[in-house]
Amino acid sequence: MRFTPTELTEEELDLQQQVRDFLQEELPPGSHEPCLGMAANKDKAFSLKMAERGWVGMALPKEWGGSDRTAVDRFIVVEEMLRWGAPVGHHWVADRQTGNVILKFGTEEQRERFLPAICRGELGFSIGMSEPDSGSDLASVSTKAEPTTDGWIINGTKIWTSGAHENDWFVCLLRTSPMEDGNKHAGLSQLLIDLKSPGLEISPIPFLDGSHHFNEVTFNEVFVPDINVLGDLGMGWHQNTTEMAYERGGPDRWLSPFSTVEQLLREAKGTELEETVSDLFGELVARWWGIRNLSLSVARLIDTGEAPSIESSLVKEMGTRYEQEVVEKLVHLIDIEYSPDSDSLFERLLAQCVVTFPGNTIRGGTIEILRSVASKGLKGLPA
Amino acid sequence: MTEATGVDELVTETADRLFTQVCDHEAVQNAEAAGAAPEIWSAFAETGFPWISIDEDRGGSGGTLLDALEVLRLVGYHAAPIPAAETGVLGGWLLASSGHEIPAGPITVLPNSNNITASVSGDQMTLAGTCARVPWARIAERIAVLVEVDGQSMVGSVDPKDCAIRPMTNMAGEPRDTVCFDGAIAPASPCVAGVNPETFRFRGALSRAALMAGAIEKMSQLTVTYTNDRIQFGRPVARFQAVQQHLVWGAQEAALARMAAETAGREANRGSAFFEIAAAKLITNQAAARATKACHQAHGAMGMTQEYPLHHYSRRLWSWRKEYGGDAEWSKWLGDAAVSQGAEGLYALVTGGSSVLR
Repeated sequence: MRFTPTELTEEELDLQQQVRDFLQEELPPGSHEPCLGMAANKDKAFSLKMAERGWVGMALPKEWGGSDRTAVDRFIVVEEMLRWGAPVGHHWVADRQTGNVILKFGTEEQRERFLPAICRGELGFSIGMSEPDSGSDLASVSTKAEPTTDGWIINGTKIWTSGAHENDWFVCLLRTSPMEDGNKHAGLSQLLIDLKSPGLEISPIPFLDGSHHFNEVTFNEVFVPDINVLGDLGMGWHQNTTEMAYERGGPDRWLSPFSTVEQLLREAKGTELEETVSDLFGELVARWWGIRNLSLSVARLIDTGEAPSIESSLVKEMGTRYEQEVVEKLVHLIDIEYSPDSDSLFERLLAQCVVTFPGNTIRGGTIEILRSVASKGLKGLPA
Repeated sequence: MTEATGVDELVTETADRLFTQVCDHEAVQNAEAAGAAPEIWSAFAETGFPWISIDEDRGGSGGTLLDALEVLRLVGYHAAPIPAAETGVLGGWLLASSGHEIPAGPITVLPNSNNITASVSGDQMTLAGTCARVPWARIAERIAVLVEVDGQSMVGSVDPKDCAIRPMTNMAGEPRDTVCFDGAIAPASPCVAGVNPETFRFRGALSRAALMAGAIEKMSQLTVTYTNDRIQFGRPVARFQAVQQHLVWGAQEAALARMAAETAGREANRGSAFFEIAAAKLITNQAAARATKACHQAHGAMGMTQEYPLHHYSRRLWSWRKEYGGDAEWSKWLGDAAVSQGAEGLYALVTGGSSVLR
């Protein structure tokens, strides 16, 4: 394990400035309610505008509509979007992971069908992993795909499916052959499923504050054609693990409360709170600077062709805990009874952080599971 | 690695090999009991490492500040009981940059001159007052003293024989002596631009960040090894989720501290690095607290004994955390910097650091 310090090149700093200018023009402060990191609103028009600039699916090859840019370039765009609280929800999953997975494991026909549309910012994807009886023990999934003429018949249930009610496609981890004794990782495959398929039913699982992000997706004899099998049959576990490596360690794991913190500074300026804020912000900027440098070095490592899974697990575990720590510090120091319908934007955002951030250390793999992954990788280092 | 960090790989390899040979557990323990380790110092001095980053024509070994900080990181990693920072990037830097001679032996430096008064006459200064917690003063050949006299920063090169030195220690048993100047007279010369009590404070913090990053990394590695060797309930304790938490937290703090110290070093090697150094010292201070807690917990009772080496690192970290600025000092500096940028400039500070403060 080694996090080598890195920094942005002139070209990369230029991209950073372009993104900042874009955001200043499209979403000047005060013109929109900032989102809290990747739990962002879906705004297809905004996604299309980003795509016009080549900032969606930007690391995908040009022949498939991408921009052949690096993981660091994508890091820069994502970082600026998230700290601004931009509504990146529509293209988020496709941009972060689905595009990569289709490029890596998909057929030519699938690449042709999906990648250019992803890069145009058109397609929204959901992820189908958890089930009622399979959470952290993901390999125990039991939703079945059984072969039929030219395709598969699916029966079962997926849960915690973010955005299924608004998205177009669903990448699902399914059991394509019965569980064998002692090897539950075998017999799993990934299928691309149209969320409008007959027999597929989507019902909301209301979030604790009543908002609608999660869904339960029920498959009742849903037909999926052979051409929608992603990658090789039986390789679903391996592909899924690869996919999860893309979703760890990026700015979405440590920037979620930034827009709240920034808004506090805006509202506290010139008030009696300013001194309290100054006490708090020293530690905040130092930690953000440090964690950002670790996260950036992971992106740089990806560009050298490495798969830094231990490093990204460490950053995700630390980053998501840090997000919660930031909120706790705000709550501790700012003696205001905040509420979701306050006139103050800071108070509204803080209320939303308090209510939603317990999920940050759960989504995409609980921190307990991440620790298990990372600590196994730490073994064998020199002492 | 050379390309990415700018550190001469030979420096890393040679220093690591040297300290592996001369700074084992027993040697470090003996140095603590004796209050000095002349053999370790001699082996270190023979390589020229103490004077890296000081120009050769000034009596140094040449090389960059990055190389010197890499040596300090390894000093921390091996808990080497020698005044490496004081002789090189702190005291040596002050003496060399103000035209004083670099002695053949160890140098130390007053961490501050808050209780020192100096009067200058020609090329001599007369010193009065007492300074506590001066590292390794008892073995130093010269004591570098940085004072402001009539708005001008001056460096005096004091012969320790002209002072009264009372041996004191820090929590790791490292010498932190009290030095009393009672009319000591020393050669004095003005500092070059950019060398003053403020920049010295930052440089001191940078030296401690490098030492601390090394010590935290070593603690983390010891903890991984120990918990994989230690069997309880029929399996290595590292297999238990509750223990894995401590392993992961230790490794994260090691990574964070090293990243912060190395990034600050990179910027300092180029020029102004106030933000990065302040952030690095605050980060390593807090990383020291979190990592010592996690690593001690994972070691159980064994980590609380003298016979097991964890304490060489944890006790140094608890001491170094308070040297050249504790949490409150750097937190305040950074908080003021952040608020001065306003909401619109806050993220640019996180990404741009000192370059946006210039």
